Order: sequence, then C-alpha cells, then structure tokens
Amino acid sequence: MIAAIGLLAILLSAAASVLLIGRAWRQATAPQPDPGRIRGPVQLLLGGAVIAFLALETAILSDNFSLGYVSSNSSTTTPLIFKLAGAWAALEGSIVLWGLVLAVVVYLVARSVRGADRLGLTALSVLGVISLFWFALMATAANPFEVCTKLVGGVCGDTSWLPFVHTVAPVDGVGANPLLQNSILMAIHPPMLYVGYVTFTAPFAFAIAALIRGEQGSVWLERTRRWSVVAWAFLGFGMLLGAWWSYEVLGWGGYWGWDPVENAALLPFLAATAFIHSAVVQRKRGMLQSWNLILVITTFSLTILGTFLTRSGTIISVHSFTQSEVGPILLGFLLVTVLASLALFAMRSHLLGSAPRLDSIASREGVFLLNNLILTVFALAVLMGTIYPIVLEALGRARVSVSAPYYNRILLPTAFLLLMAMGVGPVTPYRLARAGVVWRRIATPIVVGLVAGAVAVTVGVRSIPVVVVVVLGIFVIATIVGEFRRQLSKVEGRRLDRVLRLLRRDSGYWGGQITHTGIALIAIAIAASSGMAARGQVQLVTGESAVVDGYCLVYETSTTRTEPNRQVIGAVLSLRDESCGNEIAILQPVFNSYVRGAVGTPAVHTGLFDDVFVALGGVPGDQVALNVMVFPLMWLLWTGGLIAVAGGMWAIYARKPQRRRVEATVDV
Amino acid sequence: MSDRTRRIVGWGLAIGAIAVMVVGLLPKPAAADPEQRAQSLEQRLACPLCHGQSLAESGSDAAADLKVIIREKIDAGLTDDQILDYFAVRYGDHIVLEPPLLGWGLALWAAPLVAFGVGGWIVWTRRGVVS
Repeated sequence: MIAAIGLLAILLSAAASVLLIGRAWRQATAPQPDPGRIRGPVQLLLGGAVIAFLALETAILSDNFSLGYVSSNSSTTTPLIFKLAGAWAALEGSIVLWGLVLAVVVYLVARSVRGADRLGLTALSVLGVISLFWFALMATAANPFEVCTKLVGGVCGDTSWLPFVHTVAPVDGVGANPLLQNSILMAIHPPMLYVGYVTFTAPFAFAIAALIRGEQGSVWLERTRRWSVVAWAFLGFGMLLGAWWSYEVLGWGGYWGWDPVENAALLPFLAATAFIHSAVVQRKRGMLQSWNLILVITTFSLTILGTFLTRSGTIISVHSFTQSEVGPILLGFLLVTVLASLALFAMRSHLLGSAPRLDSIASREGVFLLNNLILTVFALAVLMGTIYPIVLEALGRARVSVSAPYYNRILLPTAFLLLMAMGVGPVTPYRLARAGVVWRRIATPIVVGLVAGAVAVTVGVRSIPVVVVVVLGIFVIATIVGEFRRQLSKVEGRRLDRVLRLLRRDSGYWGGQITHTGIALIAIAIAASSGMAARGQVQLVTGESAVVDGYCLVYETSTTRTEPNRQVIGAVLSLRDESCGNEIAILQPVFNSYVRGAVGTPAVHTGLFDDVFVALGGVPGDQVALNVMVFPLMWLLWTGGLIAVAGGMWAIYARKPQRRRVEATVDV
Repeated sequence: MSDRTRRIVGWGLAIGAIAVMVVGLLPKPAAADPEQRAQSLEQRLACPLCHGQSLAESGSDAAADLKVIIREKIDAGLTDDQILDYFAVRYGDHIVLEPPLLGWGLALWAAPLVAFGVGGWIVWTRRGVVS
C-alpha cells in the first residue's frame, strides 16, 4: 500500500515536471504571459515530492520491511532519530530527499515569477527539465519503493518495482549503516549538502534561461544572488559538519582526507566561491558576463559530478555506501548537461553586450580576477587529482593514488595567494587604485600580522608554513578590523547602534568580511593542526600510564554495555598533566558493534591550546592499544567555520536600514 | 602620536618581528635528520590494508612494520625516491600517495602551473590602458 502511494507520488511529480516544461515555455513565448498557468504543475510537483518523502518515512517508522530499502537500512532496534535519517542513508532514499528539496526550489522560484517575467518563466521550464530527470530516476533505476518478492535466508532476495505484486517481508531489517548510526551529525550532514547542491540549480536555470533568451545584463545575476549565497553557505556548512563527523566519529585522527567524495563537495564549493566574487564584479562594473555564465555552468556540472562520484560506487571510499546502475545514468546526465550548456553558450554568447575593459590590474576588480584565477586553478587541480586514478583504472592501467601529499603541496601556495588577495582586495578601490590609498589601509595590518608571526615563533612554532599562514591570517583580520573602524568613524549615532547600522548598510560587503574573518581563522587552524600535530601509539596494562606530547594517560579499566541496537566496548582513561598528577578529564574511546559491523568512536578532550584525541587500536581488556594524537587549535577550525557560514547568512538576510542605501562609501 | 613617530614605531615593530622570525626559523634541523625524513616518507606512503590512510595516520600493525622498513632503508643510505620506488615495486604504484613526476603524473603536477600562467596571461593582456 505505502509502496504504491510512494511510487504514484513520484510518477505524479514526474508528470507535473513534463507539464511544467511545456506550460512555462508556452507562457514565456506567449504575447501575453500568464504566470497563473504554471501554478498547477508547480503545486503538483511539490505535492508529489512531499507525499513520496512522507511515504518513505512512514514505511521506515512503521518497520515495513516488505520494502527492500527499509529492510536494508533500518531495523526494529534502530533508534528513532536514525530511522528518520534512514530516509537519506542510501542512494534511493537520498534521491527522494533530493527531489523534495528541488521541488521546494521550483516552488520558491515560481512564487517570484509575476507578470510578463519571461526570464523567470524560461528558467522554470529549465527547472522542469531538471526535475523530470530526477523524478524519472526515482521511478526507475533508483526506486526506493521496490517491494520484496522473495526471501533468501531471512533477507530480501528479489525485489519488484511493481507495488501491487504479492510481497513478503523479512522478520527484521539489518539496520542502518554502522558509520551512519554512530553519530547524530551523520543525520544532518547529508541534507545540508543536498540543500547546497540542489539550491544551485536555481542560478543555473536562470543562467540558461538568460542564454536561451539572449538577454544581456545582470538581471539573472541579481535575481539569483540569494540562491547562490544560500547554496554556498549550505555546501560550506555541510562540509564543516562532515569534517567534524570525520574527526569525532571516524577515529582515524583527521577531519579532511582528500577523499574523492570530500572533493566532490569541495569542487562545487570552490566554483561557487569564485562565482560569488565574479558576480560582484558584474553587478558593480558590468564586466565578466561570459565568465559568470561559464562559472555557473561549471558549478552546476560539478554538483552533478559530485552526485555521480558519491552515489555511483565508481570510487570505493568511506563515503561510497552505495553501488548501483545509477552511475552510467548520472554520468550521461552530466555529459548532456555540460555539452548542451556549452553548445548553447557558444551559440548565444555573441548576444551578450561587450563589457567594459579592466581599467587596471591594480583595482578591486583586478584582485577579484586574481581571486577567480586562484580558485579555478585550485579547483582544476582538485578535479584532475580526483578523476586521474579513476581514468587510469578505466584505461586498465595499474592502480595509483592521488592524495594528501599532492593536494597539500598545491594548497599551500594557493592559500598564501588567497589570503594575500583577501587582505588587500576588500580595501582596494574599484577602477584604479592609487598605491598610497591602499598602503595607508594595509600598513598597520601588515605590522600586526608580522608581530603575530613573531609571537608564534616565540611561543615555539618552528614550522615555516604555519608561521606564514599566521602572519597572513592575522593580517587579513587586522585589515578587516581597520577598515571597519575607518568606516565606523563616518557613521553617527550611539555605539552599538552605529555598529549595526554600518553592518546593515552594506550587508553584502560586511557579510563577506565576516566570512573572510572565519576563513582566515580556518586557515590558521588548518596550518596549525596539520603542521604541528603529534602522534603516538601506546600499549597500557590496567593502572599503567604513558606520556604523549605533554599529556599523561592512565588506563583505568575497560567497560562493556549492551544497548538495543549495539554493544559498546570501551576503555576508561584518565587524562592528566605531564607529571601524571592533576586529572584533566576522563576519556572513554569505544568500539560499537552493530549487526552490520563494528565501528570505533574516539574520545576527544578539547582544550584552549590543543585537543587530545584518543582512539582504540584494539579491543580493550587487561591491556589496551591506543592511538593518541594531539592537535593544536582545533576549536578555532570549528569556530572559524561557523563564523564563515554566519557571514554568508548576514550577507543575504540582514535587514537594510530604512533610509535608501547610499552607494557604499568604501568605493572611493 | 604624531604621524612621524607612528611611522617609526611601525617600521621598528615590523623589522623587529621579521628579525625574531628569521632567527627562530632559520636554524632548522638539517633536512637530512633521519627521523624527520622517515616521518615525511610516512605521510607520502599509504597504509597497505587500511583504505585511504597514510602510514603516518595509521596505528595498525601492518603500518608499524612498514615504518620499521622505512627506517632500515634510510639507515642503509637510500634516497627518498629510492625508498618510494622500493615500496611501489613491492606493493604496487598506488602505495605512493602522490603521482610520479613522469608521464601522465607529470601532467597532473604541471597542469595547475600551466593553467595559472595561461589564466594570468589572459587577464594581463585584456587589461585596459591606465589613463
């Protein structure tokens, strides 16, 4: 029953997509466009997506194991929160959530379309094509409502997509993937990324619509500014949660592994970052029209590539929980998207007006171009590094690895250049910057940065890259603070009132500066934690202690407890100061055994200067093997990430002051 | 503070800070320090059994064995490249976590540089004339 409802809802959305393509297109080209004609298909599309998602959740919550998806991703003992999250724990379910987010995007775009908005109507038609693809995929190769028709050894042995056949159900499901049901973070990390991925469909649809209509100017950019920044913020927040999960749960002692699936999220994020910056240049100066279109097409294509890498099983990694025949379909969709978009661009780009030329490299737009160059080159390196092993394998060559040593070596100069641009760019005037003006604004910050570097060296930092990043990161923050104070002196009013008024007056600029502050902190944290981490492996018998990098660990005892869905075996350790005297914390790293396998959870003690990270190296008993790591300044990474995301939110949601905004005073 | 004193203080602080950094960072332990070389090699080699981890990150027994071999090879006087080759021959190319500096691997290393050069050249040639 529930399977039939779900499948019919998906088919409804697919049919509504077809209707939307036709009606939106007809209205866009009609002499008197009537946006009212598209309300029907848009509501059907959203309705179908909501019902499909609710049907899937209902099936999981009611332990309906006659659905193949439910029996392989949930069980009677799975905790409620992980049952709910089970709806997006594997390929088929995650595409249902994907479809729901896309339907919401279509609905919101449709609401913004009023009157003779031909651009918006054309964009809705493009959105219809994209949603048709996803809902058709859901109804065929990635159908979560396939029912079980045969049991083999107590588990589902054969499934049918027809929901009306005679179904059988296993007594219980196998439960959620152990890696997923080990942390609440894993329930929210994927939806954040999906929202980021899917939201970028809106700027893409408007860009394609502008190309189809041969519209000049920045209307499509203005209308999708919010969408782009929201997509960027959610992608960033999703990656931050993923990094945190990797650190707190996976227990290998890191937060970023340059895993192809991590790169899959990083790539559209980098392209979107470049796009957000170059979009400013087009809005302020009318330049880079073609480049912005290319960047939007690139970003959207990279989101599809990301889905393909994550969900096709093409690469085997911690994230590739699923394998299926969806791979070739997604690859085909990617190729069609890239080729069709580029062909359209080639046919239409001559219609775009000739843009004003860059007056001088020494200008705000010059630094924006540098920023775009660095970001796209870095994205290219990550893209090549990610697909190189896959391509070689596909060609039948020997297996190769491209990992941290490659990416880190390219990241280092990239980070240096980006931080410099981040410090200088925001205080550089548009068009033509006189050296004296810029120098006055960055001289003091440079001194502050250098002093910070000297302080780092004095407290014992001996890694040159770490010191360079500290100098540049503090320079960036000092520039922002200096510029803020300079601008604040021109605003009248009482103290806090003035600050808020300034931050709101040009919320795009100041939101960006908040994000830059976060990024500078992240850069310092990444440099410190990768350049100055200490690692040790120790074997302890009960009561014994060991010292690693200034911390003493005492093995007190082992513990075992049984929970409905898992068995937990852990070690109880006392973390003390170097002399093994004062206790700082009790650490309990554990192993969790689930039906589908075991997964370890490290214990982390977060301090002001560093984190002590302890993971089990073996099952604890009279003796325990521990992997101990000490990472400096980890809290700065998470704080910086949250500040960066908050900056994005400020840029789009801060309310402007009542008075009409005057041109930003920073534009000298 | 007058502009003049500010400037003097600023330059003084900057030069002092640079001096502190140079003095603190220059006497780096010789790059030939065998333990440092071993640790850097651990980061460039994969743990053979645990997917996606380097030797440095892995606490497994298999990784521990390989870490011992690295130190033996360093003591025997092999260069870093010779040690990487030694492992590539025995475990397959994929044990080395970075592409080689030849063939297609070289393209992977060169591409970012070439792209940066070409992109920079395009930006440079398209700039207007300063009036």
